Amino acid sequence: MRHPSQATPEPLRAHGTRYNNPRYNRRQFLGLTGAAAASAALRFDAAPALAQAEPVKLGVLAIRAGIAAPVGAAGLRATEWWAERVNKSGGILGRPVQLVVEEESNPKDTVERYRKLVLQDKVEAVLGGISTGVTLALGPVAEDLATPWLSWDGTTQKGVEETMPNPKWAFKSVDNEVEAIVAGILTPKYFKGIKTVAGIGNDYSYGHDCWESYQAVLKRYVPDVKFVLELFPKLGVTDFTSHIAAIQQSKADMLMCSFWSGDATIIMKQAAAVGLFKTMKGVFTTAGGVHDSLKKEFTPEGLLLGYNTMYFDDPKGSPLLKQFVREYKAKHNEYPPYECDHAFFNAESYKAAVEKAARSGRQWPEKAAVAKALEGIEVESLSGRRSWREDHVQMCNFYQGITTHKNSYDFVTISPVEVVSTKQAMKPAGAKLFDWINGWKI
Amino acid sequence: MQVVFGVQKIFNLACGSFYALGAYVGVSAVGWYAAAGGPPALFIVPLALAGLAVGAVGVVIERGLLSFVYERDETFQLLLTFAVVLMMEDAIRLTWGTAPRSTAGLYLAYGQTQLLGATVPVYNLVVIAASLAIALAIGWLLTRTTFGRIVRATADNREMAAALGVDLRRVYAKVFTLGTALGTLGGALVIPATAAMSEMGIELIVEAFAVVVIGGLGSMRGAFVGALVVGILRSFAISIYPELEMLLIYLIVIAVLVLRPRGLFGGAGV
Repeated sequence: MRHPSQATPEPLRAHGTRYNNPRYNRRQFLGLTGAAAASAALRFDAAPALAQAEPVKLGVLAIRAGIAAPVGAAGLRATEWWAERVNKSGGILGRPVQLVVEEESNPKDTVERYRKLVLQDKVEAVLGGISTGVTLALGPVAEDLATPWLSWDGTTQKGVEETMPNPKWAFKSVDNEVEAIVAGILTPKYFKGIKTVAGIGNDYSYGHDCWESYQAVLKRYVPDVKFVLELFPKLGVTDFTSHIAAIQQSKADMLMCSFWSGDATIIMKQAAAVGLFKTMKGVFTTAGGVHDSLKKEFTPEGLLLGYNTMYFDDPKGSPLLKQFVREYKAKHNEYPPYECDHAFFNAESYKAAVEKAARSGRQWPEKAAVAKALEGIEVESLSGRRSWREDHVQMCNFYQGITTHKNSYDFVTISPVEVVSTKQAMKPAGAKLFDWINGWKI
Repeated sequence: MQVVFGVQKIFNLACGSFYALGAYVGVSAVGWYAAAGGPPALFIVPLALAGLAVGAVGVVIERGLLSFVYERDETFQLLLTFAVVLMMEDAIRLTWGTAPRSTAGLYLAYGQTQLLGATVPVYNLVVIAASLAIALAIGWLLTRTTFGRIVRATADNREMAAALGVDLRRVYAKVFTLGTALGTLGGALVIPATAAMSEMGIELIVEAFAVVVIGGLGSMRGAFVGALVVGILRSFAISIYPELEMLLIYLIVIAVLVLRPRGLFGGAGV
C-alpha cells in the first residue's frame, strides 16, 4: 500500500486530460476537502501532488426501501467502513476514495442510476446490487458501458441457469441456490433418519430455486426421502398461522425454510407459539441474515441455521472480523449480517486489482486492466480469504450450524459451526445445476 | 377505514400506514415498559395505550391535509392518502430504521392452551376478545350515543346535517381520529405475534381492499363479514391447495363485483 506522500508524479499523467480541465480542478479540490481522511500534509503540497490525490470515485448501489432495505443498509455501512479505513491508510495508489451512493430499486430506475454513475459522475467502478431481478438487467448495461461492476449479492442467473457465462465487466455474486445446497449437504449429518420434509419459501425465483436445489441434494444423500408439502407465501406476508397449521397437519419430520428477511423472525415466533419445533426438526437456510432478531425466547436450540458467507461470532474469525463486528456494534447497535462481507470483499478486491494492474504499468490503470486483474484475484475479506473465479463469480465460504442458547446474547448463535466452500457447493463454471448435483459421488 | 369512508366519503389508503405506525409505536412502548421494569403480564396495557395515543396523528392529518380536499374529486383524495402512505413509510424508516422490529418473547407471556386439539397461544385469544369488545363498543357508540347519531346523520346526508347545525369540521376530525386510533390500536395489538416492518402498511391495504369489496364499502357489518371470509378462505386454501391462496380471494372479489357490486352489505348504512 503506497502512502500519498510517496506519490510519484507519473500517475497524474494517466488522467492528464481531466487535470487540464479547470472545472475539474475545482471539483477535485472540493472533493479533497470533503475526503475526510486525506492527509493534511498532502493538501498543502505542490500542485502535482494535489492532482495525484484526485479522489477515485466509486459508485455504490444500495437498496434503501422495502423488505431488503436492511440488507442494503448493511452493505452500504460495510462499504463506508472500508472507505474510511482505506482513506486512513493513504487511499488507493495515493488517491482517496469517494463514494457516490445511488439507490437500487426496480430494474428500470436502477439501470438509469447506473448509467448516471458511469456517464455523469464518471465513477471508476460500480459496487453493489442485491436483487437478482435488478442485476439481471444491470449485467448487459455494465458490459455496454465498459466499467467494472462488482455485485454484492445479485447474480445474472435466470432461475439456476447463468445468462452471462463470459462477461468482461460484470462481476457477480455467488449463485443464489448455494446456501440451500449447503443445507442439503449438512441436513443428513445432523438430522439422521429424516423421512418426510415440508418446505416453505417466498413465492419468487429465490424461494423456488432454493427448494428445488435442496430437494435434489437431499435426495442424493437420503434417496427414500419424501417431500410432503410445499408452501410459497408471497414476500412480505406477516401472518403465517395458516401456513404453520398446514405444516403441522403434514406431520413432516422436518421443515425447510428459505426465508431471509423479517418473515424468518415472524414464522419462528408463530411456530414457537404452537410448539412446532417440539415435534419437528427445522432447517433455516438463510435466516442468519436477520440473526439478531432470532431471540432465544422463541427460537429453539437444535435448528440448522445458515449465515450465508459471514458468521459474526465465528470463534476462528480473523482480527479484521472482530474489529469490524466491534465497531459496527458500537456505531449501529446491531451485529453485522453477511451482506457486509460481500460488500467489503467487492471493494477490497477492486483496490487489490487496481494495485495489481498498476504494478506493471506504474500508472493508474485503465478500467479494462482493472477488470482483467480482478479475475482470479484473492483478498482478505471480513470472513477470511475470498476470490473471484475466472468467470467473474464470487468464491467464498458458507457458514451454517446448529442453534444454541449458550452465549451472552439475547438471540441464538450456532455451535458447532460448519464451513462449506463454494468449491464444494457451487456448480462449476458452465455446468448445469441438476446434472452436476446428480453426478456427485456420494 | 369503514367508519371514515361511511362518513367522509374518503377512501383512506393511509389506514395501512396507521396500522404500521401503531405497530412500531407498540414495539417501542413495550420496550420502554420492559426497561422500566414493568411486570410482563401487564404488557398489553402500555401496548394498547400507546396504540390508542398515537391515533392522535389522525387529527393532524385530517386538519392539515384532508380538510382541503373534501370538495375535490375522489382521485385527489386517493392520491393524497397514497402520498401519506409513502411519507409515513419513510418517516417510520427514519425513526425506527430499516430492520424489522419485534417484541421478543412477549407473545408467549400468557402461555399456551389446548383448544379443539390444537395448541393456541393465549395472547391470540386475548386479541380476539379485544377485537370483539372494540367492535361492540363501536357498535354501541354509533347506535346508542348522541355522537353516534350525529355521525350517522352526517353519513346519510351531510348538507342536511350541516343545515341542522352540526359542525361538520368537528365531526370529521373526530371520526377520522377514531378511525386512525382503531388502525393504530390494531397495529399495536398484533405486534407481539409478528414483527413490525416498514412496508407492512401497504400489505395491509391490499388485503383490506379485498375485505372492503367483499363486505361493501362503508358498512361495519360488511367489514366484519368480509374479514372473516378472507381470513377463513386463506386458511382453508393453504391447508387444502396452497397454490390457490391468493387467487381464491381475488376470485371471490371478482364474483362479488360482478354479481353484487355494492358488496354483501353495501348500502346497508353504517
